[in-house]
Amino acid sequence: MSDNIEEIQKSVRKYIIIGIALLALSGFTVWLSTVELPTHGLNILVGMIVATFKASLVALIFMHLNHERPVIYKVLAFTVAFAIVLFVLFILSAQDPLVFEGFYNRNE
Amino acid sequence: MDIPYTVTSRPDTGLYNAKIGIWLFLASEVMLFGGLFSAYIFLRVGADYPWPVWDLDVKLGFWNTVFLIISSVTVVMAWASIKLRKYTQYKLCMLATIACAAIFMVNKSMEYAKKFQHYAVKLTDGTILTGHLPHGYQVKFENVDALELTIVGSNKAVDADPVNHVLSSVVGDVPKFKFPSGEEKELNKATFGELRKSMRDAAFAKMQDERAKMIEAAEKAASVATTDFAKYEAARKLTIAKNYHSLSDTKVKLIPSAPLKIAAKPSQFFGYTDTSLTFVDGTIATGKLVDDKMTLEVDGVDTRAVAQSEQSLAFDHRYLGEGWQKAFVANRDHHIADFEKKYPTRDKAKSATLQKESLFFKEFHSAEPPAAGEAHGGKHGAEAHAPADSHGHEAYHPTVVIEKKDITFFSNFTPKLNTYYAIYFTLTGLHGLHVVAGAGVLAYFLFFNGRMLREDPEHLANRVEVGGLFWHFVDLVWIFLFPLLYLL
Repeated sequence: MSDNIEEIQKSVRKYIIIGIALLALSGFTVWLSTVELPTHGLNILVGMIVATFKASLVALIFMHLNHERPVIYKVLAFTVAFAIVLFVLFILSAQDPLVFEGFYNRNE
Repeated sequence: MDIPYTVTSRPDTGLYNAKIGIWLFLASEVMLFGGLFSAYIFLRVGADYPWPVWDLDVKLGFWNTVFLIISSVTVVMAWASIKLRKYTQYKLCMLATIACAAIFMVNKSMEYAKKFQHYAVKLTDGTILTGHLPHGYQVKFENVDALELTIVGSNKAVDADPVNHVLSSVVGDVPKFKFPSGEEKELNKATFGELRKSMRDAAFAKMQDERAKMIEAAEKAASVATTDFAKYEAARKLTIAKNYHSLSDTKVKLIPSAPLKIAAKPSQFFGYTDTSLTFVDGTIATGKLVDDKMTLEVDGVDTRAVAQSEQSLAFDHRYLGEGWQKAFVANRDHHIADFEKKYPTRDKAKSATLQKESLFFKEFHSAEPPAAGEAHGGKHGAEAHAPADSHGHEAYHPTVVIEKKDITFFSNFTPKLNTYYAIYFTLTGLHGLHVVAGAGVLAYFLFFNGRMLREDPEHLANRVEVGGLFWHFVDLVWIFLFPLLYLL
C-alpha cells in the first residue's frame, strides 16, 4: 500500500483500466462458453483459467496484493494451500469401485 | 482506551491492525467459500442428470457481473479519493458502490422469484416438462363424509389439528360436524379443544385403571411367591406397573352434516388414495377422489433421459400430440445435421450442447404447433402466428393436463429439484448475504463517519480500505460463480 500522493494519483488511472479489462474479460467469458470445444471439460478448463486471471487482477491491483507486507502473504499461503486441497478432493471419488461414467458417456 | 494502530503501522507487522484483521477474516472466508465450491465439484462430478448449462438468465447474470466490477472500481476510487482529499468524489464513489450493490440484489431477487414460479414435472418415462402452473396444483375430493382424527396420547410430531390443517382446504362453507358425543357443532378452536381435552382425560383415566390392575396383579403374585425367582419376578413386574404411564392414541370420527368438497395443496397432505386423503396432521378424510390432474403451461420438453426421444410421453395424444412431436423431431434433426456439418469427427453423444439443443425442446412460441413447413427454427414464423393476447401469456404456450399416474416427481426450481439448484441457491444465497453485509458496512462509513472524514481522514481512509478489501472479495467470488453457475 502506498501513501505517496503521486503514486495514488497514478494508480487511479490504473484502476479504471483494470475495471475495463475485467468487463471485457467478462464479455469474453460469455462468448467463450458458446464456443463448442472438443469436450465440455475443455470449455470449463478454459473458462476457469480466464476466471482465475480475472480474480488475480482483482487481488493484485484492487486489493493491492502486488505490494503488500510479508505477513499477509504468509497468512494467504496457508489459505491457498488448503483451498487447493479442497478443490482436488474430488479426485478421491475416483477410488469408488462403482464408477459412474457420466451422463453422456453411455454406450448407445 | 484508544484502539492502538488504527492509523499508523504496528512495528512488528508493518500494518495497521484492522488490515491484518481483515486479511485473517478473508482467509477464513476463502475456506468457507472454498468448501462450498468443493461441494459444487462433488455434486457436478456425481450428478446423474445432465448438469444445467445456460439454464439461468445469462443476460441478468452478466449485468450483475458488470455492476459488481463497476462497484469494485468505485470502492477503490473512494479510498484513493480520501487519500487525495477529494471528499466530494469520495462520497460519489461510495454512493455508486452502494447503488451497484442495490441493483445487484434487485436483479438477484427477480431471478429467485422467477425460479420459485417455474416448475419441472418429471414423467414416468424420464421426460421432464417445464412450465408454469396457472392455477397452482390441488388434489380434489368430493362427497367427503367423515374426518378421522387421531388424537395422540403423548407428545408426537403429528397430532390432530384439523382446525389449522383441514378446514382451509374445504371448498365453500364449512358445515357443522357431528361430534362423538352426538351433538352437532361447528368445528373451531374451542370445540376441538374441548374434544381433545375430553379424549385425553378418557385416555388418562384408562391408563390409571390399567396401572391399578397391573399393580394389583403384581402384588398378588408377590404375596403367593415362594421361590426367590418368583419373588424377583413379582418385584420386577411391580416396578414396571408403577412406571406404566403410556397414554394411548384415540381415534375420533367427525361426520359433517353435509358432504364436504376438499381441494388440498401438496403441502397440506401426506398422501392420498382413490377414497381417502391424509392431511399433514394425520387426519384422514374419506370420500371420492375427483381430480388430481395437473394443468401445466409447457415451455420446455426435456427428453434427454428418454431412450427414444420422439416417443416421449410428452407427445402422447393426451398431451402435446403429434403436431408438437413433428416440430420436436424437425428441430432435433436440424440441430444434429448442423452439428454433423460443423464437427464431422466429433462424437454426437458426448456433446452436452448438442444433447441439450436437440433433445431439450423449448420452441414453444404459440399455443398451437407450427405448420409443417416452418417446423425447424421456425421461431419467427410461429411467433407471427401467435394468437392475439386474449388469455394473457398463456396464448404463447401449449397447455397440457397431466394425469397423476404419469408424474413421478414435480417441483419448482428450488433446492428440492436437483443438486444443481441446491448448490446454486446455497452459493448465491451466501454470496448475496455478503453483498448486503458489505454494502451495509460501506453505507455506515459514508453516512455515519462524516466527522471522521473532516477530523481524521487517514483513519477513515483505512476503514474504507478494509471495507473495500471485503467488497473486492465479494466481487472475486462472483467472478467464479458467474461462469460456474450460468455459463459452463
